Amino acid sequence: MFNIVFLLRWTTKADIISTVEFNHTGELLATGDKGGRVVIFQQEIENKSLPQFRSEYNVYSTFQSHEPEFDYLKSLEIEEKINKIRWLPQKNAAQFLLSTNDKTIKLWKISERDKRPDGYNLKEDDGRCKDPNSITSLRVPVLIPMDLMVEASPRRVFANAHTYHINSVSVNSDHETYLSADDLRINLWHLEITDRSFNIVDIKPANMEELTEVITAAEFHPHQCNTFVYSSSKGIIRLCDMRESALCDRHTKLFEEPEDPSNRSFFSEIISSISDVKFSHSGRYMMTRDYLSVKIWDLNMENRPVETYQVHEYLRSKLCSLYENDCIFDKFECCWNGNDSVVMTGSYNNFFRMFDRSQRRDVMLEASRENSKPMQVLKPRKVCAGGKRKKDEISVDSLDFNKKILHTAWHPQDNIIAVATTNNLYIFQDKIN
Amino acid sequence: MIGCAFDAQNLISISLRKIQSSRTQRGGIKLHKNLLVTYVLRNARQFYLNKNASQAQRSPPYEDEVAVREKQDYLELTGSFTELADDFYCNFTGAEADSWHCGAHQPHGQLTEMPHQDASSCALVSPNDSDLMLSEACWSCADKSWELPVPNTQANQKTVLDLDTHVVTTVTNGYFHSDCCAQPKQPQGAQCHRKRKMDTSYFIVDPEFYLPDFVPVPFKRMRSDDDSHSDSEQLDNTNISNLISVLGSGGLSEFVSWQQTDLEQIFGTQTICLKHTLFTGSGWTRAIEAF
Repeated sequence: MFNIVFLLRWTTKADIISTVEFNHTGELLATGDKGGRVVIFQQEIENKSLPQFRSEYNVYSTFQSHEPEFDYLKSLEIEEKINKIRWLPQKNAAQFLLSTNDKTIKLWKISERDKRPDGYNLKEDDGRCKDPNSITSLRVPVLIPMDLMVEASPRRVFANAHTYHINSVSVNSDHETYLSADDLRINLWHLEITDRSFNIVDIKPANMEELTEVITAAEFHPHQCNTFVYSSSKGIIRLCDMRESALCDRHTKLFEEPEDPSNRSFFSEIISSISDVKFSHSGRYMMTRDYLSVKIWDLNMENRPVETYQVHEYLRSKLCSLYENDCIFDKFECCWNGNDSVVMTGSYNNFFRMFDRSQRRDVMLEASRENSKPMQVLKPRKVCAGGKRKKDEISVDSLDFNKKILHTAWHPQDNIIAVATTNNLYIFQDKIN
Repeated sequence: MIGCAFDAQNLISISLRKIQSSRTQRGGIKLHKNLLVTYVLRNARQFYLNKNASQAQRSPPYEDEVAVREKQDYLELTGSFTELADDFYCNFTGAEADSWHCGAHQPHGQLTEMPHQDASSCALVSPNDSDLMLSEACWSCADKSWELPVPNTQANQKTVLDLDTHVVTTVTNGYFHSDCCAQPKQPQGAQCHRKRKMDTSYFIVDPEFYLPDFVPVPFKRMRSDDDSHSDSEQLDNTNISNLISVLGSGGLSEFVSWQQTDLEQIFGTQTICLKHTLFTGSGWTRAIEAF
């Protein structure tokens, strides 16, 4: 899957994209931004039956999910930035998604309205009430077509359950519960119940002096409703089974790769911190992203990953500068393609990488305006770590660390990818010959 | 190695700035990021201590004492600090298992230093922290007295600014949250098995205390009644001060002189006067002690 063509680019007017997520069919693509807004794009397929088809994603709905809040007790502002969006499986005509900022999770219903009632007996067309005495005959109101209107309404608000900053939300395969994770705790919710949640993981030490690691990401298993994983800042992934105990402080499995002592540096702890964890669609593997690499783990083997891909090893010698400019704290996400054969993650200079697991190939591509001609095939990019720079290679020192791709998403069925730069959403698809 | 040493100092300075700036950033302090920054601080500190330890072995001991006394710096800091420290602490290995434990990976084995040009590639495997602490331990475990070279104060007394109430109080007998030891004494029974004393005058506000609206029913884990009672008692009956666990003793005085300017610039625009006393000896102090 390495003939990627540019499809389209959407630009947010003022804000930074903070999350990207396809729904379960891939028809809808949701983005959240730093301003608390959610923008949903809908796929409009032109002639999908033809060998060469081109998908368009157009704006479907926009709404303000979260507003800035103020915690008066702690004198802290709560950012409205959307940290995560997760779609619920579709059960009826409406779509549902969970969006979360640092403290509050909300369930939104997105529904279409393309008909309106007409012919009320007691109301005028403009809504004014009629005098009942003036009615001489009755008629049955009918539904008449109208311009499509997409409404987003908040159906549930799950608040006041997290002391620390929420980093993950994951819907369970039972379609009834979901988990939310902050730095030190994971809570289990029922989608219908907002005033209570179950705490299933708590790694806060009795004495905060003994704090050594925090939770960085958590996700439910795609098929086993009793299983979930959470990653930590120490590079450890813990798999928990909720059937074993009500409180999952003791893990069922612990996945950790021993540190290579030859790579030890001042920043070893930072670069080993896991920023994202994702189960494969099959449920057999999981993928983790730390600062420099992507690792694929077999759930049946805990002592080391089965595959490791270096995303930008050339940055290892630049860690001091990256620490100074805070880039070393960037949290890159990763994603699987539909059949788990390819994984993708972002990097700097608006580069993103794809690793084909089956063919052992990888490619680095760039999301940029220069490559944004319709159906233009993206050219592979290469970074020169040192020595003589070849033609078309870019030097490490020339990389723009302000241009970073932290969020990517892959269509669940087709080879369509969404890549978010700072304030641009790029959609690419596989060129079909 | 000179490059590495300078980078360690630089890293400490940068890290302090990050911690300071995190206190005023929007959305509150990021626990994860600050925890990682403290790891960098720890690594840089370890490197610097190891370097000084190797240098100290080559110079007569009395010169160190004099140099230490001369280099005690009283750093005039001005600032007003927002609420902190319910968010994070980083703990560092003490001499014994029941003292503080360093949460970071503990490298094992002998000290080896790889010559590298810059800190980022500095592969330093340091000895176990406890060994280091033992060699530099200066805890006066026997008499519980803390001889603090604080000028203009009586022995065993310390004046502290409560950051919550802005009340200045004098604490006697040195029951500090920190293990600050002033004098670089020879270890007296360095195998000090005593657990670090918790100064009940200083208690970090647990943010969970401020969750009145959320009824945790039914929690799968219930907070014990003892916990909640002790929390509320502490908060009700004691002065609550928010302490910054940043840095303290342990070989930092050597570069306080060059760092003083940096820190003054960091805190220069703020308004509350704090006095930052750095001691030699082992371990990190837990607080910036106000004077």
